[in-house]
Amino acid sequence: MSSRILLVEDDERIRASMRLALEDEGYEVDESGSGETALDHFADQPSDVVLIDLMLPGMDGFECCRQLRRMSAVPVIMVTARTDTHDVVAGLEAGADDYVTKPFVAKELAARIRALLRRTRSVDDPDLLSFGEIEVRPDEGSVHRDGQEVHCTRTEFRLLCELAANPGKVLSREQLLDRVWGYDYFGDGRLVDVHIRRLRIKVEPDAANPRHILTVRGMGYKLAV
Amino acid sequence: MRAPRSDNHNTTLAVVPRSTRRRWWRPQQRLGLRSRVTFTFGLGALVLSATLAGLTYFTARQFILNERQTAILRQAYVNASLARSSLRSSNPDIAQLLDSLDTVPGSRSVLELRGQWYATSISVGETALPSALRKLVLLGTPATQHFALASTPEMVVGVPIPSLDAAYFEVFSLDELSRTLRILALALAGAALVTTLAGAVIGRWASGRVLRPLAQVSRAAETIAGGSLDTRLVAKDDRELSALAASFNRMADALQERIEREVRFTSDVSHELRSPLTTLATSLGVLESHRQEMTGRSRHALDLLAAELRRFQHMVDDLLEISRVDTGSAELSLDEVEVGELARQAVAAGGAAGIAVDVHPSVAGVRLSVDKRRIERVVANLVANAEQYAGGVTRVAVEPSPAGVRLVVADQGPGVSPAERERVFERFYRGQTAGQRGAADGTGLGLSLVAEHVRLHGGKVWVEGEPGGENRFVVELPVSTADGQVRPSEETDAPFPSGMLPAVDGPSLSGVEGDPVGRDGGDELDDRTQPDRRSAPVPDRRSGPVSEHQPDRSEAARAGPETAPKAPSP
Repeated sequence: MSSRILLVEDDERIRASMRLALEDEGYEVDESGSGETALDHFADQPSDVVLIDLMLPGMDGFECCRQLRRMSAVPVIMVTARTDTHDVVAGLEAGADDYVTKPFVAKELAARIRALLRRTRSVDDPDLLSFGEIEVRPDEGSVHRDGQEVHCTRTEFRLLCELAANPGKVLSREQLLDRVWGYDYFGDGRLVDVHIRRLRIKVEPDAANPRHILTVRGMGYKLAV
Repeated sequence: MRAPRSDNHNTTLAVVPRSTRRRWWRPQQRLGLRSRVTFTFGLGALVLSATLAGLTYFTARQFILNERQTAILRQAYVNASLARSSLRSSNPDIAQLLDSLDTVPGSRSVLELRGQWYATSISVGETALPSALRKLVLLGTPATQHFALASTPEMVVGVPIPSLDAAYFEVFSLDELSRTLRILALALAGAALVTTLAGAVIGRWASGRVLRPLAQVSRAAETIAGGSLDTRLVAKDDRELSALAASFNRMADALQERIEREVRFTSDVSHELRSPLTTLATSLGVLESHRQEMTGRSRHALDLLAAELRRFQHMVDDLLEISRVDTGSAELSLDEVEVGELARQAVAAGGAAGIAVDVHPSVAGVRLSVDKRRIERVVANLVANAEQYAGGVTRVAVEPSPAGVRLVVADQGPGVSPAERERVFERFYRGQTAGQRGAADGTGLGLSLVAEHVRLHGGKVWVEGEPGGENRFVVELPVSTADGQVRPSEETDAPFPSGMLPAVDGPSLSGVEGDPVGRDGGDELDDRTQPDRRSAPVPDRRSGPVSEHQPDRSEAARAGPETAPKAPSP
């Protein structure tokens, strides 16, 4: 069964051309012209991936992404016309998993979507990874802190699994971009930084003074047991 | 500039070059305003204090002299009458008489009695007295006279005693008096001098105070000229100054708005172009995936469309990048990377994957703190430039340099002529060779963006080589010091190589000075969440050629990966 993609974009022609390109890649595409209709549509018919344009009339892409996050852990790619730090980081903070910049190449977008869909779990993960009061079950896709379930998006979960599978080892941003997002050398390190920040808020007792997910200056991140 | 009219004095003056006109000025006007105020204050204080001192001196002198003269006369007459009554007695002892007279220190008596002269002092006798006075007194007229005796001022009083055919003279020394007057004159002159100096000092201080707002205005204008368009003056309580600050700020507002509007226009246009471009690119992608279903002519048309669209996209990207640099919103997203790896990845990503990167052993392992995306664009643009104008890249090398490391991209030529070596980095500049090769793919912004990206890193870029031979585009990047800060290069006497592009003019970017972000002790949040992705302080263009200084080439060589400079741990 092919994956369903929800396309939230106000420009009708961009929407039409993206539908053509994504259908060529073998996806089923649903379209929405605004954030409000997209949320309604998603409630009726959940998609596997959501593409959200940040510049939408009415409810903007950031708000749409935040509301979607309250409903679901579905992978979200934001489409932005600006690569400025502010927009990208704000979009990631709103809960997006990845971003593409307009104008994008359809093949690149398809590759990003494939990477997001693929990384639900990797085969060599053990059944249980635990550190401190945190328990990660890769097979169930669940994270528990002190027995309480913590809700993570797929990307956050994948990132946590990568760190937990290599306790004490420093993983650079490049390595994490490669393993979690499927990027090569020139991925955007901000993806990692923002997701690490979100993960800390969820699993650390005090996100401002992390005890588990540590920053190694100039090198990357590591998990302290 | 107004057209000069020969009959109008003002207009004639307006066309006189500034240097010539200045020669006509009076010397005093060559001084700065502050010196002039100081001078005027000093002069005023001098005139005032000199007048006062002169008045004081002459009044005091007159008074003292009068007092003294009265005392002298009184004493002389008393002594003369004493002498007369003594001489009336029979057989007077004249020497004893003279001794018995009441005298003050420094006064000496001389007595003439029937042609005989008697004196109490050897130095003062008949001959020492001024002859005119002597004659006058001997003829029976009392007289006084000032005269100098052995260069000391003296006053003599002569009193005739006609009843006895005698005359009494008393000589008073005025030495002490003149010494007193000299001391008084000295004291007054000293006071006048001190007053003059005090006047000058007050003038300097007051003018400094008055000019301080002017200096602030000047500094603010300088900062604005340097590109910090949001610089404003703080309005003070003072009415005149707040008016100045307000009008300055209004001017700065207008200037900023105008510049920002122009830059925003470029940015807005580029952004607006992105929507149709997205549709075009996506649709073209769909068409390309259905290439097999097309005829040869359609495929050819599709290829043309694809090529032009790519160029169009590059142009929009480049324009956006340029507008970001112009608005000062360009931020460096720094990462530490090993220089050889950086060059290899950038060359591969820049579309010259087949070219080996020749890394000099002395710089292998050196880590640079750079924005990888920008360096990738630098290399990609240099590769594209080589392909479009100079037969493609022949060699890419990483070499040590006194200021850091050099990334050299060489092509087949023909070489850029020396006259064009700086101009090739200008926006939309097309050299003589443009149009000969695949120049149609160029956006005209590639090399100017190279210069901008390198400048943001505090480095330099230039082109060297022989005309007709190969071109070597050299990107010199600074090596970060241990604390991750850019150290200014030490001024050397060596001139820039021909064609080098020292980073000068134009707007500087945010956070040049006093910006805590990215410096030691940066804000807490940044430390934890983005430890080595500092938004780096961007070097100020005004500061001229900026480059980091690397102390020693061999030091860089010794610095392996484990000793390479790293950001300080939190």
